[in-house]
Amino acid sequence: MLSYLLAPLSLLLVIGVAIDHQVIVNPIYSAFDRSLSRAALAIAAHIRRTPDGQLDIPVPDRPLAPLRSNAHEQFFYRVSTLDGRTVAGTADLPLVAAEKNSKGLDYADVTYRGTALRLVSYRTTEAGEPLVVTAGEIPFRRDRALHRMDVSFGINNSIQMLLMLSTALLGINIALRPLRRLREQIVGRAPQALSPLSTAQVPAEVRPLVDSLNTLLVSVRDSSLAQQHFLANAAHQLRTPLTGLKAQLEVLGQEASGSPLQARITQLHSGIDRLAHTANQLLALARAEPSAHLASHFTRVELHPLIAEVISSSLDRALQRDIDLGAECQPVQVHGVYWLLRETLLNLLDNAIRHTPVGGQITLRCGTEAGQPFLEVDDSGPGIPLAERERVRERFYHGAGSDGDSCGLGLSIVDEAARAHGAHFSILDSHGRHGARMRIDFPLPGDDTPPAARPVVKN
Amino acid sequence: MRILLVEDDSLVADAIVRGLSAEGYAVDRTAAAEPVSGLMEGTHYDLAIIDLGLPGEDGFALVRRLRRNGNALPLLIVTARDGLNDRVSALDLGADDYLVKPFALPELAARCRALIRRASAATSNELTIGQLRIDLAGRRALNPAGQVLELTRREWSILECLAHHSGRVVSKERLIQAIAGWDEDISSNAIEVHVSRLRGKLEGAATVRGIRGLGYRLEDI
Repeated sequence: MLSYLLAPLSLLLVIGVAIDHQVIVNPIYSAFDRSLSRAALAIAAHIRRTPDGQLDIPVPDRPLAPLRSNAHEQFFYRVSTLDGRTVAGTADLPLVAAEKNSKGLDYADVTYRGTALRLVSYRTTEAGEPLVVTAGEIPFRRDRALHRMDVSFGINNSIQMLLMLSTALLGINIALRPLRRLREQIVGRAPQALSPLSTAQVPAEVRPLVDSLNTLLVSVRDSSLAQQHFLANAAHQLRTPLTGLKAQLEVLGQEASGSPLQARITQLHSGIDRLAHTANQLLALARAEPSAHLASHFTRVELHPLIAEVISSSLDRALQRDIDLGAECQPVQVHGVYWLLRETLLNLLDNAIRHTPVGGQITLRCGTEAGQPFLEVDDSGPGIPLAERERVRERFYHGAGSDGDSCGLGLSIVDEAARAHGAHFSILDSHGRHGARMRIDFPLPGDDTPPAARPVVKN
Repeated sequence: MRILLVEDDSLVADAIVRGLSAEGYAVDRTAAAEPVSGLMEGTHYDLAIIDLGLPGEDGFALVRRLRRNGNALPLLIVTARDGLNDRVSALDLGADDYLVKPFALPELAARCRALIRRASAATSNELTIGQLRIDLAGRRALNPAGQVLELTRREWSILECLAHHSGRVVSKERLIQAIAGWDEDISSNAIEVHVSRLRGKLEGAATVRGIRGLGYRLEDI
């Protein structure tokens, strides 16, 4: 902003000084001209005619003392007759042509012996003989006076300009304060918060901006809600026919038991299962996306019973693969959405069971570390290489080790759900010899505002 | 055992009827809530499976109506909705269990079995877990051969608690509460000892699986 102001202001400064110069140059010049003409008049006053009829000038070559104030100054004069004969003074000093309307005084700028001279001529009559008194000076004094004037105008104007500039900057700064507050309000929001901005402390100038921002936010929120609604509906609509297909295939599989058709039915069955899994994951993902309506779902959630419930529901799958599934829990609670946390934990456990070899071990943990609650799922699978740890969170990502049965949404749901809780999801090495440890660190307890209404701390 | 299925989707209904029939249940099916009362007047059912998303009167309204009329029939809800609120309100209204679509038929059959068992235990005071028969009134357990198992008071309390929640994980804390009197202080190590003895005595009839860090689950063999 300063650079935008500085260039035009400097131009204004130069123009201002130039105008001042123009305004002051005539009065100064006429003042000096008057002083020069007084010298000419003084010389004229000294002209006497001697008794023998000769003209006598008692001031010879030496000019009058008050007229020579300064060494730089050179003063010339010449008294001549109308026909150009020099009576006294410098004989080759140029003469000034008489103006028609002049009252005996005429001025001119000439060059004399290579220097500029200001001349004045005064026409007088001494004892009936017309005489011309010409006086000249180097315009050093007037130029210096003018120069001083210019400098003082320059300094004056610069100071004024600087004062104006700082006043303007201060004013702009104060005027922009509400915008800055608005900016802080926007920056301080959670990235997915789509609730309208508060208009309580917004001054009238910014009000239209906030209003149009709010209109935009509301329409974005509406379309995001509509999208979630659509996804949820779509998943619901998928569930019933999927249930039918799945159950029919199960019945068919039992009826075809022992026949060659059974293998194909089993294939179909696993396809239906994958489809059902994907529909469920899509639904979970749609609902995990934090939006305004989620805030009302936040309650105190005990993590230990949650782990017990999730283990209970997955226990049979783990036992089928002879996996030792267990828990290490300290009592701890978080501020969260129960079903979302359950979905998160189910996904992490599902993931762990998929990747843990037969006879392996999976441990779910909860507790606090440095006051922060955490959830962990630790498996003895192959683990996830460092390079892949970011990419596995991407939707529909299939890593080198995935079995093709998963839809690649599980960890994105976990990531999304963690963010909705203001928590941090990280993928670490197992505490065991090998394997992955999925960990969710929750924010410090005691803050009961839902994360959507609270600034997100970036790390 | 007769089951009433209230499900409007014929693909699902047909599969459930076939699946449960194969398990030995007699299944009657209706596609709407309105005829349910009439059906129940003429027939004795042991369980009703109700879909929440019915045309006309929905599953919630049906459950509420049945319970308001004093009907104590075990009710299993199946639904495509899995929101916690739906689940809570269905259970609050008086449903006994809740299953989210898509489910596997064996899972549905297991839930039906558990509900019917629980209801019959309330009337007959007897529970059957696999080969194990538990006589709640007589406070005794019988093995497949019909012999009464010799259990201490604490082993019996543990078995009773596990049997009431068979198929689910029961926490150690809960078992401690089940066996500890007012003046007793029982350590979690003591529970382990009692469970291990109980496991030995149940051998051949049922087993108690320990879940690391959580508790125990009674399983049939």
